[in-house]
Amino acid sequence: MWGGGSKKPQSGPAQEMVQVDRSESSFWRSRSPQSNATSTPHRDGAYKPPTDSQTKVVGASYSYADMLNFENTPSRPKTPTHSKHKSTPSTGSHSPTNAAASYNAFMSQTDDDWGLDLNDTSIPKETTVTGGLGSIASMAGVTSIEGRPSGAKGSKGAGGGYEYPLAKKRTKGLKAQFEGLVRDPGNSLHMIYHPPINTDVHSSAEIEAMNARISRINKFKTVLQSSTVDLTKLRSLAWGGIPDELRPMAWQLLLGYLPANCDRRVATLERKRREYLDSAKQAFSRGEAGMDQTIWHQISIDIPRTNPHIPLYGHNTTQRCLEKILYVWAIRHPASGYVQGINDLVTPFWQVFLSAYIEGDVETFDPGSLPPEVLDVVSADCFWCLTKLLDGIQDNYIHSQPGIQRQVSQLRDLVRRIDSGLAKHLNDVQVQFIQFSFRWMNCMLMREFSVKNVIRMWDTYMSEGNSGFSEFHLYVCAAFLVKWSAELKKMDFQEVMMFLQSLPTKEWGEKDIGLLLSEAFMWQSLYRNSSAHLRDDGTTVHNEELNL
Amino acid sequence: MADGPKPSSSVKLVLLGEAAVGKSSLVLRFVNDDFQENREPTIGAAFLTQKCNLPNRTIKFEIWDTAGQERFASLAPMYYRNAQSALVVYDLTKASSLAKAKHWVAELQRQASPGIVIALVGNKLDLTNQSTGLESSMGGLSLSAAANDGDEEEEEEGDARQITTAEAKSYADEEGLLFFETSAKTGHNVQEVFTAIANAIPESTLKTRGGPGSGRTGGGAAGDTFGGSGGVNLSAVGETNKDGCAC
Repeated sequence: MWGGGSKKPQSGPAQEMVQVDRSESSFWRSRSPQSNATSTPHRDGAYKPPTDSQTKVVGASYSYADMLNFENTPSRPKTPTHSKHKSTPSTGSHSPTNAAASYNAFMSQTDDDWGLDLNDTSIPKETTVTGGLGSIASMAGVTSIEGRPSGAKGSKGAGGGYEYPLAKKRTKGLKAQFEGLVRDPGNSLHMIYHPPINTDVHSSAEIEAMNARISRINKFKTVLQSSTVDLTKLRSLAWGGIPDELRPMAWQLLLGYLPANCDRRVATLERKRREYLDSAKQAFSRGEAGMDQTIWHQISIDIPRTNPHIPLYGHNTTQRCLEKILYVWAIRHPASGYVQGINDLVTPFWQVFLSAYIEGDVETFDPGSLPPEVLDVVSADCFWCLTKLLDGIQDNYIHSQPGIQRQVSQLRDLVRRIDSGLAKHLNDVQVQFIQFSFRWMNCMLMREFSVKNVIRMWDTYMSEGNSGFSEFHLYVCAAFLVKWSAELKKMDFQEVMMFLQSLPTKEWGEKDIGLLLSEAFMWQSLYRNSSAHLRDDGTTVHNEELNL
Repeated sequence: MADGPKPSSSVKLVLLGEAAVGKSSLVLRFVNDDFQENREPTIGAAFLTQKCNLPNRTIKFEIWDTAGQERFASLAPMYYRNAQSALVVYDLTKASSLAKAKHWVAELQRQASPGIVIALVGNKLDLTNQSTGLESSMGGLSLSAAANDGDEEEEEEGDARQITTAEAKSYADEEGLLFFETSAKTGHNVQEVFTAIANAIPESTLKTRGGPGSGRTGGGAAGDTFGGSGGVNLSAVGETNKDGCAC
């Protein structure tokens, strides 16, 4: 599933993003004993084989939402609408005695800190649940209020128990817990849904995959839950792919946007988001007349042409948010301004950060119904993460795009090394690397892969540290090109160009991407430190040493 | 029916023009007879081919469709340097795009091969009141007749036109350019542009084609901009595949 995992780089780049502020006031630390104490009983309770006799097996950890909606368990979790109404008699209804044996067997193989899943911020205190899991749910409610930093720190959580403006703000597709998420992405750790495992329905392979997923999620949670996230550990885990539910938080940490120290998160996010919103407000305050016409025109003609095949990007709300992000970035970075391709680069962030707040497939979602608060927060997070990403590849977009030219010639030199036959053939048919790889560099291969695949690639790029999008990308491009070596060597100029412009990657999935990344890692290991390799013909300027 | 012994030659064509005027859409219409609203912007350049059948010969266009944004302009010389023909496109609903087109024409006249055939193309005719396509059978020149009406029509409501036919036509005449108004969306006049270019390529030019480098070395191709290697030598392209066709 996470094909690249085995080749995880051990020698990570410099750790400049690590937050080492282990301040005393760690809310987390002071509370953690309590947390642990309260979570223990959950575990016992949660794993108790149910006694009812239905055919379904409850196989995994639940967010509170699942427990409160047991009637609907096999589908996605419904968000609670009302704490009191939600005191549903639970559990038993799903869990079959006849499957108890396998259930137990399954339980015994899975990771052992599931109880943490139950520890949710957003459970209202007054929730009472009866039945097998009742105690767990109510425990979770108590724990969440006292044990989570965000809950306690946020204005709404302080008193004990969340107040949800659910009645007025119920939006289709919006997670009920959105307010907690807005405040602290750390709350996503407690909203993970694991579909129930049913031995009658699921094959053993599927169950294995589900268990692998749970186990992997728990590894991430262990890292992400600590009061100061160990970014080295996070990088080495994330290199092989980040589970969808944890990606928003993990990306923000990896890019250095979200502080590793959990005590600083709420305040930092508030400040950063305010800064973005103020910038945007100022930039648009005088209407179009007060704006940089060249930049604004270019952005506004590109926005409707951004991922036109994905419904999410056809919606007005998406377009208005993205153009604002791009415009604010452009006027704050006058050396480059807006350059086509940057519109592509913002979309993985938009998709990933939006997905934290909604249920279902983000690519078909219409964000128009979301509260402005959520859109502001997603926009601001996209803006800052895009900024972080572009900081590392700024010379790709300044005048004459020296970064891209350098990468293109590095790619050519690299391919000469790793596949001299292909390099020779391309030379013979007079194909120049700039003719096909300019776009690979300018759009980070986003025109070559689906956004979903790009998102998976970025897990790894971000795990590579600052050089991921500049240096590691080069090796990915090399691995990608030589993958088609056999085909390319049979083609003339025209065929090569046509082929490279629309490579057959439509069917590519996570495994293919994982393999590609592993191959790139291999090339990087072989060539990264040989500073002479890229200077074969004495003409290449490169910045390999700078990154080491 | 048209194939057989009819001589076939390759012609390099480059598209230039401001962003979002419809360069890629014109090519897509010409090559695939297709149109897509909101296509992704071209990055760098795209390569396509298409044959054009003339009564006495077949021309195979090898097309470089370049990116329009100013930031990518430094790539353009690589693509026009060896081109035998160029299609300079503007959006006739956007005044500034003709200025940009004039800039490209001047650059081509200065830097490209001396014999390059240039067509000035005003695209998005479907957004004007002339969009009915009644004159679709007319060649480029006959549009100059319609130009007299241009000024009046411009005032009509619902007409997004900002550049009159007369204005663009007179500029094209001055500079010795082919001139067309097209709609990639409806297909109006698109085939005609390419046919006119094919007809305008001097036969002598085609006959000299033989091997790499023999085609268009005129113009003293300037030094290379990128990567220390030679410019885009399109001359050799297609020699091995004369009968190949993109369609």
